[in-house]
Amino acid sequence: MKILNVALYECKSILHNLPILMVLGGGIFLYGLLYNYMYSPNVLRDVPVVVVDESHTPLSRHYIRLLDATPQVRVQGVVNDLKEARERTRKGEALGITFLPADFDEKVGKGDEAVFVTYNTTVAFLYYAALKEAFSGAMLALDDEVRPRQVVFLASQVVPAIANIRDIQVQGIALYNESGGYASYLIPAVLMVILFQTMLMVISMRCGEENERRMRPLWRVTGHGSSWRTAVSIVIGKSVVYVGFYALFSIFLIGLLPLVFDLPHLADPLLLVQLLTPYLFATVFFGLACSPFFTDSDAPLLLIAFFSVGLLFLSGISWPLELMPWPWRVLHSLLPAPVGTLAFVKANSMGATLVDISSEWSLLWMQCVAYFALACIVYKKY
Amino acid sequence: MNRDLINVFLRELRRMTSRRIYFASCLVLPLFSLLFMATLFGNGQMEDLPVGVVDEDNTSASREIARRVDATPTLRITRHYANETEARRDVQRKVIYGYLLIPSGFTEKAGNNQEATLCYYYHNAMLSVGGELRSTFETLLKQVSVTPIVTQAMAMGADEASITSFLMPITEDDFPIYNQNRNYTIYLSQPFFFIFLQILVLLVTTYAIGSERKYGTGGDWLQSAGGNIGIAVVGKLLPSSIIFICIGVLANWVFFGWMQIPLSGSLWAMNLAAILLIVASQALALFLYSLFPVLGLVISVVSMVGSLGATLSGVTFPVAFMDAPVHAASFLFPVRHFMEVVQSLLYEGGSLADYGMSLIALLLFLLPPAFLLPRLKKSIGLNSSTALRSHKNSPSVYRESILEEGEGVEAIIQR
Repeated sequence: MKILNVALYECKSILHNLPILMVLGGGIFLYGLLYNYMYSPNVLRDVPVVVVDESHTPLSRHYIRLLDATPQVRVQGVVNDLKEARERTRKGEALGITFLPADFDEKVGKGDEAVFVTYNTTVAFLYYAALKEAFSGAMLALDDEVRPRQVVFLASQVVPAIANIRDIQVQGIALYNESGGYASYLIPAVLMVILFQTMLMVISMRCGEENERRMRPLWRVTGHGSSWRTAVSIVIGKSVVYVGFYALFSIFLIGLLPLVFDLPHLADPLLLVQLLTPYLFATVFFGLACSPFFTDSDAPLLLIAFFSVGLLFLSGISWPLELMPWPWRVLHSLLPAPVGTLAFVKANSMGATLVDISSEWSLLWMQCVAYFALACIVYKKY
Repeated sequence: MNRDLINVFLRELRRMTSRRIYFASCLVLPLFSLLFMATLFGNGQMEDLPVGVVDEDNTSASREIARRVDATPTLRITRHYANETEARRDVQRKVIYGYLLIPSGFTEKAGNNQEATLCYYYHNAMLSVGGELRSTFETLLKQVSVTPIVTQAMAMGADEASITSFLMPITEDDFPIYNQNRNYTIYLSQPFFFIFLQILVLLVTTYAIGSERKYGTGGDWLQSAGGNIGIAVVGKLLPSSIIFICIGVLANWVFFGWMQIPLSGSLWAMNLAAILLIVASQALALFLYSLFPVLGLVISVVSMVGSLGATLSGVTFPVAFMDAPVHAASFLFPVRHFMEVVQSLLYEGGSLADYGMSLIALLLFLLPPAFLLPRLKKSIGLNSSTALRSHKNSPSVYRESILEEGEGVEAIIQR
């Protein structure tokens, strides 16, 4: 009965609190949509590069055309020396440089290897990947066209011998996120972090409000008593409300958005429910266990918002966990958000089953138990 | 010096030392983010990424290929699989990040001039790891793929140089302009530290000003500034500006001095940009609060603005490639202009002519809040009468004023 009363009281308090409703509306709906919109270009196309053509031959011009034809790159201009090209990258007009030396065509004509040099910016690694792909693509295409002409440079007995030798085919296949899209890589993780962060914000605002009023409204519902019974009913009563609300929001964030924006959605809905259950409970219990730190209704928000980007890093989807120093790996497993995010990416972007995510899943359940105990202790002490 | 300014300054220092939240947000969290960004990437190199080999062929040639994969610094073979299903499953469990498949009969086919294929699979749901795997495999296997031809030609008496030149008449030499080793510490640490810092600056500023109204101490604040709202604001924000600027300069020293991240441009310019970022972020927070002076609401807006800065700074995904409205909106974020300066200094060794505009843009952020100062003053005056008596900001005074504030918020919302 007590649990029900606490739940009703919590529910009412949330619905009457405008800042909380703003966090929910803004944080979940606006942020969820905004992020998808911002990253909608997904992959880079037509990155501007500048070509230094010192050779001025049909061959070099042909290469430039091939490069321009790649989807990743657009030749922004052709200049005569490297200094001018650096000037353009400095001004941000171009993001990569290809250098074709004066003896480019001559060397090919003589049967030597003709080297051209590419300078890529590493301003963002994403540019680097796009540029590298385009440069090598254009180079391979040119190689194929030039090769038949090169036969004359080989010794006569070699040509017939190798003419029919096949080289080994090499095939690279992307598993998951086949297009290499940035949105389809990052946004699933962002959605899970949004769930965690907004939930923590709401809990902190509610706890702060109660702390500011010295818990009086809550005691009015439960009766002031520091018994285990009261503490447990408060924790359960509140958690049920938060998880209930967030079950609805999850349908939007985790269920609907990936479908609407064509993000990976490989997981079975049942698996998502299985994953989100410990995730949401662990988050609520974690939030309630932190409640003594939430001494006013605004200050905690300040601390929580700060951690969003850090949590994304900790989840290990951008920088692999294996390469992180161990203290950060420990922190990764202590918090619900990084563990849950990683499990979600595995399930929804990679099609992992419950068995495949069992290590994360059991970690989440362990967090549930530990933070539940901690939350009860905290509420007993009030 | 202006006496009122000193008054407000000292008053703010007292407030800051009386509450843990300032200690946490002005010192603990910035230093934590410095530690986090400086150490998270280890040595910054993606190396020894665990991969697997599915060697269905199991000949000395196939083992040699596997050995060469293992010998690259980027990859480390942690598992050998008998069939592809197991390997695929381990990728799914993220035990390995990719694998090389050498099909059965591979050596025989290659030897008998039949079509032989090598397949590598890489994990692209984790984009940065996948990219690294892909380029390593590609470079390595390109050499492997021509071995049958090279072997045959050499058996016929051709020298290796002429045969490779025949196979690849044109080769490229890859020179990254900056950060040759593609070190993640160089790429991410310093920019992301300042992304974290600007979130804190935005939030602390909003909270510092908003809490005056919330706890009904606005009148006292104005009074200590002799009723001049300009002095009140400057004196109030100055202590946290000084702290944040010290931390920003310290961070630049840690990254470019102690950790020896190469910096092409001047460190002075980098520090100047950091100072301007901090001041501009304070101005932005002040502006947003003046627009809508209710702490509980505006602080959630500001926290969104802060984390959007991470996206719109253009460190990870270039802003210029986002939709036009997003691109345009990014100019409203101080951190965007700061990153323009950072990238110019880091990568291009830019001079003032290159990033001067961005510095000016950061300065422009100071203007809008200045115009709203009268509005801010009015909002502070609204419910300050009750608080004039409270000179010391003891927690008990805070708590008593809460109930009045609660009604104040609702009154504002109804208006």
